[in-house]
Amino acid sequence: MRRREDRTSSRSCVLCTADEEDHSLVREAMLGDEKKGRYARQILLFGEGGQKKLKSTRVFIAGAGGLGSAIAFYMAAAGFGGIRIVDCDVVELSNLNRQILHAQADLGRAKALSAYDSLAGINPEIEVEAVVERISEENVDDLLQGCDMIMDGMDSFPSRYLLNRAALKRAIPLFHGAISGYQGQATTIIPGKTACLSCLFPRAPPPATAPAIGSTCGVIGSIEVTEAIKYVTGKGRLLKNRLLLWDGLEGCLEEVSYEPSPYCRECRGLGRDA
Amino acid sequence: MLISMPDGSRRELSRAEARIEEILKELGINPEEVIVAKNGRIVPEDEAAGGSDQLKIVRFVHGG
Repeated sequence: MRRREDRTSSRSCVLCTADEEDHSLVREAMLGDEKKGRYARQILLFGEGGQKKLKSTRVFIAGAGGLGSAIAFYMAAAGFGGIRIVDCDVVELSNLNRQILHAQADLGRAKALSAYDSLAGINPEIEVEAVVERISEENVDDLLQGCDMIMDGMDSFPSRYLLNRAALKRAIPLFHGAISGYQGQATTIIPGKTACLSCLFPRAPPPATAPAIGSTCGVIGSIEVTEAIKYVTGKGRLLKNRLLLWDGLEGCLEEVSYEPSPYCRECRGLGRDA
Repeated sequence: MLISMPDGSRRELSRAEARIEEILKELGINPEEVIVAKNGRIVPEDEAAGGSDQLKIVRFVHGG
């Protein structure tokens, strides 16, 4: 009988192994405990029923950049059952200050494929699909097949308007977020129940390269994920017709309300009476 | 009329009621770069503001 301590597990445990059969039995027991224990701390918030709902939810993460990294990591860790992450870019050195899905060794790799490895490593229990494509009007319907919600990790408003139109067409929620430097914003779009993104932002700002720091991506990406969890589990109050504004320099969060616009070119104020 | 500017500063503007678009131009702000909340609610730029209204001008962001 050999006694050894397993220091690799997040729990400290002592493994007693004799022969190969005993070793495999112990390993199986450990995996079973781990599976039950992985979500134990969040099950305290929304019960096993809530966890099952997360498991049965398939999410579309548009972008594997700064926001997409934070979103994808936390959704994988939380146990969303299916993640489809789409990005057409390759990893560059200037990405690594904030795009934490990717490491130094991933330079030059397709971001979606790098993301796949990271997410599969975080949580092998979920299904991850990595798609190396630019999201466009021509392919967005196809890309969204089977997905229950859209997570905004885009870096331009034309792309976001595309996601908005797709969300409206498929009647699925869009969890919007955007950043620049220490500033960020987030809101939740539920077609038919809230204003759409075009009601809130009727026109795109002039294009410009936004400064970016990882911690802002973390704040806003986390807010998007929290919204998605609340939506699926039915807990809390969503950012419906509320725009959350983060100012990291001041260390403050503010909120402004908005309404569906009857003049909106996309939804004609569809959520007005909801 | 109290105005919260995008940089966090506050300005008091004493003027007759005007369209928000005009107020933005007077402040030297490009309307394409901002959204404006009047008394806590985002409003279109053709909405009028004045008197005791409180405006918050938000330079919304687009990065990701």
